[in-house]
Amino acid sequence: MSDIKTLAIERLNILNPEYRDLIEDIVVANKKIYLSLKTDKSQVDKFTKIKLQIEKELIGIDGIDSVSVSLTSHSDSKKQAADPKNITKGISEVKNIISVASGKGGVGKSTTSINIAIAINKLGFRVGLLDADVYGPSIPKLIGGKQKPKISKTGNILPIKKYDISLMSIGFLVSEDTPMIWRGPMVITAVNQMLNDVEWGELDFLIVDMPPGTGDVQLTMAQKVPMTGAVIISTPQDLALIDARKGIEMFKKVNVPILGIIENMSIFICPHCNKESHIFGFEGAKIEARNKNVDFLGDIPLEIDLRESSDIGRPIMYSKSDSIVSKKFLDIAKSVVNKTMSTSKSKKPNIIIN
Amino acid sequence: MIPENIILSKNKKELTLAYGASNSILSAEFLRVNSPSAEAKGHSSDQKKIVSGKKSVSINSIEIIGNYAIRLIFDDGHSTGIYTWQYLQDLFKEKDEIWKEYISELRRKGLNRG
Repeated sequence: MSDIKTLAIERLNILNPEYRDLIEDIVVANKKIYLSLKTDKSQVDKFTKIKLQIEKELIGIDGIDSVSVSLTSHSDSKKQAADPKNITKGISEVKNIISVASGKGGVGKSTTSINIAIAINKLGFRVGLLDADVYGPSIPKLIGGKQKPKISKTGNILPIKKYDISLMSIGFLVSEDTPMIWRGPMVITAVNQMLNDVEWGELDFLIVDMPPGTGDVQLTMAQKVPMTGAVIISTPQDLALIDARKGIEMFKKVNVPILGIIENMSIFICPHCNKESHIFGFEGAKIEARNKNVDFLGDIPLEIDLRESSDIGRPIMYSKSDSIVSKKFLDIAKSVVNKTMSTSKSKKPNIIIN
Repeated sequence: MIPENIILSKNKKELTLAYGASNSILSAEFLRVNSPSAEAKGHSSDQKKIVSGKKSVSINSIEIIGNYAIRLIFDDGHSTGIYTWQYLQDLFKEKDEIWKEYISELRRKGLNRG
């Protein structure tokens, strides 16, 4: 039944996107759609026309025998009282947007993003996580599998809530094995939707898990979103550092402050003999941070616990919050929060058209 | 540097970028013929096209792009130019030379400002 509901909302949206915002409630039962519309008393004629138009449109849905549209009106004060959650769609009430990027793929962006998101939440902030990697979304797997996002009354997408954070990923919308064989414009549409058609509501931090590279998604984000800052992740390996450097340069070009670099897979401590091995090199990212004159936010060791907790979808920051790795994530989260607070937000110029 | 205010004149032919106490003023024609879009500049320097006949062009609207630029929408339909803060500063700094070069280039090609 809920599919008919979604379909009905979609149809209304096609008919006229403004109608979607008028929907007060929609119920499907016994082959019948009951829809109530918010109306303005002073424009009864206009709304009567809309009512007829909507009834005509929805009766065309397969499996529906009748449609009943009722018009309701409230005085404004009453409406607010009756609608306490009043959640905004899009990112207009998100205070800080932090993008997590690497340049190179496979350096642990998504694992780091989810754990930092949970860590920032543990510090007492409201946090969201947007998986902007449309080609290789990893967040669903990292939180223990795909969940289907619900559609709000007004037809927007509601983020998935897990581990006390709000999540959205293209991976929630398609099956795990479906490849996204998309050209640039489709990618841009998908990213725009995840930003603007999702009811993110009020958040202190929205962490954006970026895809690797410097392409369409990065450019769209830089153009559409007033980003507060970027965190760069790299392994200590030269090969990864080359791309991390490109990532840093890209953010500089679009005037997004770099909050700092995190070194992932920095060290491996053998669980049997406690011997330390620098598998991907020694302090590469730390040295790079110094060279580029950006802050070093911390290092995360290569650890079996971290990998295992990621694979079973229980982020270590949540499942083993007192482990060494979790403490590292918490420290990094503190630095990210502090850096965000001290970074002067680039003030938007006022546009004055006489 | 990010301007504090971006002011479009009443006749929509003049853009003022106000940085604290200093202002840079650029005409719509100057901005139009120096549009940084690939449409105008091409993808390499030998693809650069000279834009002529824009003496009376005006700016219809201004859109802020992320943290780093503005997009100008001109009344001749051109809207793909993304002017970064840096580019706008460079244009202002070298305004006179760029303009002189533009005029002589027009003359060489037998074109005019329209």
